[in-house]
Order: sequence, then C-alpha cells, then structure tokens
Amino acid sequence: MTEFMRKHKGRRAFLSVCTIPALILFSVFMLYPTLNIFIISMYKWGGYSQHREFVGLDNFVKLFSDAKFWQSFQNTVLLIVIVTIVTMAMALLTAAVLTREKLRFKGFFRVVFYIPNILSAVVIAAIFSAVYDPSRGLLNTLLSFFTGGSAGQVLWLGDQKVVIYSIAIAMIWQAVGYYMVMYTASMSSVPESMYEAASLEGAGRVRQFFSITIPLIWTNIRTTLTFFIISSINISFLLVRAMTSGGPDGSTEVFLSYMYKQAYTNSSYGYGMAIGVLVFLFSFALSGIINLVTRRDSVDL
Amino acid sequence: MKRFVALFCALILTLPLLASCGTREDDKDKDSDGKTILKVAVLESAYGKKMWENVAAAYEADHTDVKIELTAEKNLEDVIGSKMKSGDYPDVVHLATGREAGLTETMIRENSLADLSDILDEKVFGEDVSVKDKLIEGFTDTAATHPYDDDSMYMAPMFYGPCGLFYNAGLFAQKNWTVPTTWDEMWELGQKAEAEGMALFTYPTAGYFDSLMFALLCETGGVDFYNDCMRYKEGVWEDKNAREALDIVARIASYTEPTTVANANNDNYLKNQQLILDNKALFMPSGTWVVGEMADAPRSEGFEWGFMALPAIDSDSDRYSYTYFEQIWVPENAKHKDEAKDFIAYLYTDKAVKIFAESGAIQPIQGVSEILEGENKLFYSIYDTGAKPVLGGFAATDPVEGVSMTDTLFGTVNSIVSGDKTVDEWQNAIKKANDSLRKALKK
Repeated sequence: MTEFMRKHKGRRAFLSVCTIPALILFSVFMLYPTLNIFIISMYKWGGYSQHREFVGLDNFVKLFSDAKFWQSFQNTVLLIVIVTIVTMAMALLTAAVLTREKLRFKGFFRVVFYIPNILSAVVIAAIFSAVYDPSRGLLNTLLSFFTGGSAGQVLWLGDQKVVIYSIAIAMIWQAVGYYMVMYTASMSSVPESMYEAASLEGAGRVRQFFSITIPLIWTNIRTTLTFFIISSINISFLLVRAMTSGGPDGSTEVFLSYMYKQAYTNSSYGYGMAIGVLVFLFSFALSGIINLVTRRDSVDL
Repeated sequence: MKRFVALFCALILTLPLLASCGTREDDKDKDSDGKTILKVAVLESAYGKKMWENVAAAYEADHTDVKIELTAEKNLEDVIGSKMKSGDYPDVVHLATGREAGLTETMIRENSLADLSDILDEKVFGEDVSVKDKLIEGFTDTAATHPYDDDSMYMAPMFYGPCGLFYNAGLFAQKNWTVPTTWDEMWELGQKAEAEGMALFTYPTAGYFDSLMFALLCETGGVDFYNDCMRYKEGVWEDKNAREALDIVARIASYTEPTTVANANNDNYLKNQQLILDNKALFMPSGTWVVGEMADAPRSEGFEWGFMALPAIDSDSDRYSYTYFEQIWVPENAKHKDEAKDFIAYLYTDKAVKIFAESGAIQPIQGVSEILEGENKLFYSIYDTGAKPVLGGFAATDPVEGVSMTDTLFGTVNSIVSGDKTVDEWQNAIKKANDSLRKALKK
C-alpha cells in the first residue's frame, strides 16, 4: 500500500465518523418514524391498545372509495393551487416594488408585510374569525357600506361555496410577507447595471421585471415554490382546525384534518396512517413534478 | 464502507427494541413509604380541578396506604395518550365519550376497558349502602355504561345533567308569550317571533343535535324505537318515525337564525349562544353547562335562563329530555385495578358527592336534588315536572374506516340549514352509515 492510499483511507474513516451523528439523528427522527407510518398503515389498529390486526393494503382500498377523503383531497389541491399562485404573484410583485421603486417608508412596509408570518395559526384564525363575522365583521360591514346595507349578508364561514376561499385568503395573508422578504433579498443582489443597460435599450419596467428580475432569481423561486407547497399542506390543517373544524359539514376538510378525524375521533389509527402515507407520496410526487417543470438553464452573470 | 452501512442499518433496527425496554424503568409502583401509587387522570372541565384535588385528599386521609397521583388537564388525551401508546396506563380515567380526540371511544372499540360490574355491589366507604342502591335507577343499564349490550359495566356514571332547549324566560314574560309544549305551538311561535325580527332557533354547533335527536326519536317512535336506532337495526332509518324526526329537524332548520351556520364551529360557537342572551333567537339545544359558559357574557335586560324538555308531538304524547352523563373508567392494562375500583366506589360517598356538588358537578345519587341550589334546582327538576328521561347513546362498534354516525346524523344539519342537502339525501346517508356500522357491532 502506498503512502497516498493509507492517507486516503484515514481520511475516509474520519469523514464517516463525522457524519455518524447526523445520520443517527436523521434516522431516529425522520427515517424510523416514516417507516413506522408505512408499517402501521397496513394494520387495523385503534392506536392505544395491544390489539393490532394486519390487513395488508385493505386500508388503501377503502380509502379509494371514501367520498369524504376525496372531498378533502379536492379541497387540499384547490387550496394549494389558488394559494400558491396568488401568494407567489403577490410576493414577487411587492418584492419588486419594494426593491426597484423609490418609495417612502420602505422599511415600514417590509415590517408590516412580514408581521402575519410571526403570528401563530390560532391568532390568525381569531383575527379572520373577527373579519368574517357575519353581523359585525369587517368584511360584511364594508360590503354593506357599498350596497347601502340592502344586500344580504355573506356567510364567509357558513356558505359551503365560499368558505374554502375564505380559508385561502387567510393562508395568503399569512404567507405573502415571508416570501416577499425572501425575494427582496435575492432581487437586491441583481446588479443595478443590468437595469441601467436595459432601460438604455428602451425596456420598460414590466419588461425588466420579466426579462431580468425573474430569470435572475429563478433558482430562488424554484426552491421556495417546493417549500411553499409542502408547508401549505400543514398550514391549511392548522387554520382549518382553528377556524372551521372542517365544517360546515365537511366542506373545508383538508388532508390532515381528515387524517386527524379518522386516526383519533373515529379510532382508526391505521386508516389515518394510510392517509398519511398518501399525503407523503402526494407531496413527494408534487415536489418532483414542480422541480421538473420549473427546470431552466441557470443564468450566470 | 459497505460494512459500515450494514452495521448502521442493524443499529437502526435495534433502536425500537431499546426504546421499548427503556420506558418501564422509571415506572414506580410504590413510593418511598411503601404506599401504593394510584394514578388518577381526570379531564379538567368547566367544574375546575380543585374538587378533584379535594376528593383525592379526602381519599388519602381515609386510606393511609394509598397515595394518589392526580393528573387533571384540559387536554387530557394529549397528556395521557402518548404514555398509553408506550404502555404506561393510568389506573383511573375520568373522561367522557363524545370528545374530539375520541380516546374513550377508542378504548371501548378496542375492548381495552376493565370490567367494573363488582363496584355496584361494593359497600360505599363508611356507609351502610351499596353503590347500586345509592345510584339513581336507570343510570347503570345504558349503552353509556354497558357498551357491549351485556351484563357487564365498563364505565361508571359520574356527573350528569339534563339536556333540552334553553331560552330567555324574561323575554317570554315581557312579550306575554307562553312557552310551547307541542311542536305545532313551536311553529306558531316561530311566526310570531319572525314578525318581531327574531329567529325561533339557533344552535352552538351541529354536534349539539345529539341530545335533541335522541329525545326526538323517543317522541316520534317511543323508547324501543330509539333503542333500535342506537343498535343500528336494519331499516330503522327508513321508518316513518325516523322520517318524522328528520322532518322536524328540517323544519327547525328553516327557522334557524341565518348567521348560525357561519359560527357553528369550535372557534365561534359562543356567538351562537350569545344570540339567546341578545334576544335574536328564542331557543337553542344545550346542556346545563351553558349557564356557566355564558356567566360573564353581556345580556339583554331582564334576562333569565329558562329550560324545558322538547315539545311533544301532540298534546297527549310524552315529552323527553336527554340526560347526559360523564363516565369514569379503568383501563384493562392498569396496574392497580382493585384499588382503582375502590377509588371509584369512594366517589359516591356523601363526602365526595358534597365536594363535587360545591363545584356544580352533580352525580346521579338518590336524593341529590335536595342539595341543589338556584338555577340548578330548576334544571334538575325537569323530570319531576313531567318530562321523561332518555339515556345512553349509540352502541359500540368496531371502528369502521371512513364512517361516522355522528358526522352523518348531526354534522349534516349544517347542510340542511344552508340548503346544500335535502332531507332525502340526509336520510340516505344515514341509512348507509347505519348499514355499515351494523356489520361492525360488538357481539
């Protein structure tokens, strides 16, 4: 063995030892629980007792014919689509305005936009419950101001056709500020000279936004998009639980709220975990697809 | 490198083993004085936890060989649930059915409760009477104590209260309205109230229709019919009596205050209860806890709580009121089952009953009405003034994935009120749930 190889081997051993702590933590807190969920999803089990009955893929078969599950699936997808599009558009727009335009009180706006993000879901739910209140709420009072008080009240949390959008609005309000700050950070690293050159060539602000800003922060948008979609599955659960408890009559049930109801209220822990597995696969697939369709050649300066 | 990966995988696989060995280590049976440690877990509800601390202290004073480790939490399921998953069970649990986390239901469905039948014949501590004779008759032969429809009691009855319709008695006096005793009078009153800009009805959340529906089924079809419904008997929801009950609820829905649905969730239900205090709606279904819940709420002038059983179908038929009670139980895997039963029997002593009653928690004990005061006297006298009690609830089944009778039967009321579903659709959905649950009924 040459001197070089021995050295190399020692280095590899050292690297392996260094990664062990991280690997152990990752396995104990990520791999093992995830594996466990996959295993439990194949049992009929209430969650507390020692009686577990192996049922194979039975839970998944039932899941595919469970109308309430599909309703929660639809609601979740609807929320993901609406909330993602609107939040991303608003975050990019406000970020562009705050970095590119000469505005007074820029710092103030940044703080104001960011505040919703540090509030907990329960506080947000309480704020929006007050905004949506049918008789004394901000929205209906505002509406009656325009209609002269003649039109009927809108039941923001009571009308089954409206309520899911009411949840979406709360989610957007909550998320815009955070992503705005992320985009502001990357936008301010775009060199000023590019914009100068562009305006000398006669490009307007809109053109600059689409041809310079967006391509140059594309990597950032891609990462945040995936991150955002996964986190909206969680946030929608928190808000739904605090605001409507999935109601009225299941019209705002989302993935995780339905999973909770099945795993606990309905004593079907195994079935709940089967929902968990589908949510896991769904988010995985969705991130994969997003990653694929947003792939562009990176623009280097 | 390969060897390293293999070793690592093996290590991961042994982890759960290690974890399961570790949990029992610190589980102590006895404290340093050799006293048995009895773990009592109770839900801290509107009654507060002080009364439990006092009862535990009284028990310890009378039983010097036992030390009580009391856990009283508002989110009891979260506190004891994870411990139970890892095999650490409390000895006594006071937690009723009907909670969102469904811990008690899960214990029933999984046959994980200890048989408590022998408590009934036990003598109450320091008194010359058995538990059975001390309890009001009827409380220990319902599905809420005997979930498997046999002779064994798995849950003992604790705090109870009548459910019915609450209203503002002051308003009825001011307007010179008589309180309706039949549903026809109810609908007439609905017209009168509408003329004054008030709605006839509101409800906190759709879940509150359980007590109303149970009493209503007794009114339309009698107690046997109600029991058939609770046992998921075949075809019972296609019966004309069932349809009549559903139609009455649909009629109630048409008289419901329009903003009710928007607030009928865990976050905003108090706004619906406020409608009664503000004279915007006349009646709501609830239990006696509502008085405490709304104690600090602003109210219209001359407001006074009124409470009645459901109106009758016609003037010569019976009126019913559902009696709600909380249960106390012992997990099958508890360590000190005998001590646990002894503790439960102690809860029916005059001493304990008095401590509970001081916090407003009333147990179904013979002669309890004599120690009641104020509004409680009115509420608990409902059965003395002609209304018949309804007890129990749906029979226990194995869990059926994706099927929930309470969601179908009560949750749908929101859709009936908003007009998103018809009574026919509702009836069909109930029938379907009924069919799948019957197959899972505990034998």
